[in-house]
Amino acid sequence: MTNPFHIRGNQSWEWPVASLCLVLGVMVSLAWIGKANRESRFSTLDADMAGRISRGEIDEVELRRLSSEVSKLREENTKLQNAVAGNSQQSRVLNEALQQVKTWSGLTAIEGPGITVTLTDSQNMDLLENDRIIHDNDLMRIVNELWASGAEAIEINGHRLVARSTIRCVGPVIQVDARVVSVPVHIRAIGDIEDLYGALNFPGGVAESFRELDPTMFKIDRVKLHHFKAFSGSTELRTAKIPPEANKKP
Amino acid sequence: MILIPILALVIGILIPYFLKIGPLQGITGQYLAVACLAGLDTVCGGIRTGLEEKFNSAVFYSGFVFNICIAFGLAWFGDRIGINLFLIAALVLGQRIFSNLSIIRRQILTKWRSDRERKAAQLQAQTQNQPQANP
Repeated sequence: MTNPFHIRGNQSWEWPVASLCLVLGVMVSLAWIGKANRESRFSTLDADMAGRISRGEIDEVELRRLSSEVSKLREENTKLQNAVAGNSQQSRVLNEALQQVKTWSGLTAIEGPGITVTLTDSQNMDLLENDRIIHDNDLMRIVNELWASGAEAIEINGHRLVARSTIRCVGPVIQVDARVVSVPVHIRAIGDIEDLYGALNFPGGVAESFRELDPTMFKIDRVKLHHFKAFSGSTELRTAKIPPEANKKP
Repeated sequence: MILIPILALVIGILIPYFLKIGPLQGITGQYLAVACLAGLDTVCGGIRTGLEEKFNSAVFYSGFVFNICIAFGLAWFGDRIGINLFLIAALVLGQRIFSNLSIIRRQILTKWRSDRERKAAQLQAQTQNQPQANP
């Protein structure tokens, strides 16, 4: 009687191997990470792997193109509103109010005198690494100081800040309204030049904290005329609504 | 002869495309990825034993199914108890794939070299024999 578990060996191997290769091929292509299942496979990948795979997701060029289109359309919108308002006294008053609100909220292009703050990473290797680089809270401190000292419009690297703007740190980069900001960071503000200048330069102020570390990190210039584009992000409200009583006619 | 498995692998990869079975979603896809490594390891092992002339289809088929189940199960179990056990599976299987492939390479090399030596010996024997045949 032959033992069924006896290993005979030396059988033809090509066809068994080929058949399982077929199965393996099906498995590989089912486990492949493609466009359709990238999202759901995310959570199961390591953090840095997820980052590497997601990098292709946002098309930076397309984003830039679309946001410049948005600001162009907003300018056009302003022009059209002005044209419509030319007809009667009432509509002119309405339009003035509208333009005032839009200017205040950053939806129009705007110009005026002000300052430019330029922040760069320090090249001084004697400093701690944490002190050498520009952080999100440096931007926040400066922006806060500028608003507090009467800035009427602020732009960071060409991106207009509005009431809902955010400045935060995402991994190694700073994001302003989900747009990546890299050094050198140019913070431009429109307002009274000397007020803005003084607000950053007072003893113990923002400028001094940089100068203590490395004076090359912080540069401030007076500018005769800034020209800012309109805010180019989304202004859509998803949850908030105007309460009905506010819309009632008196 | 080694082309048959490679051809089969390519056909296998293409089958889901034509049947429109999309790639698997979520965690199942991740477990299947580990199982793929196990499958690859078994296939490499099969080729190796084939070249060593010790191939046994029962061992091969059962190894394929078992290794896949173990890799899949280990990855699943690791997630249940919060340890990345699939890394262990990936490490061990990766190492085995490497060693199997290096043995396959060595087998093919020795076979090729011994073939060449045999041919050279034959040629030498012929050239030595010829003068004796025609004095």
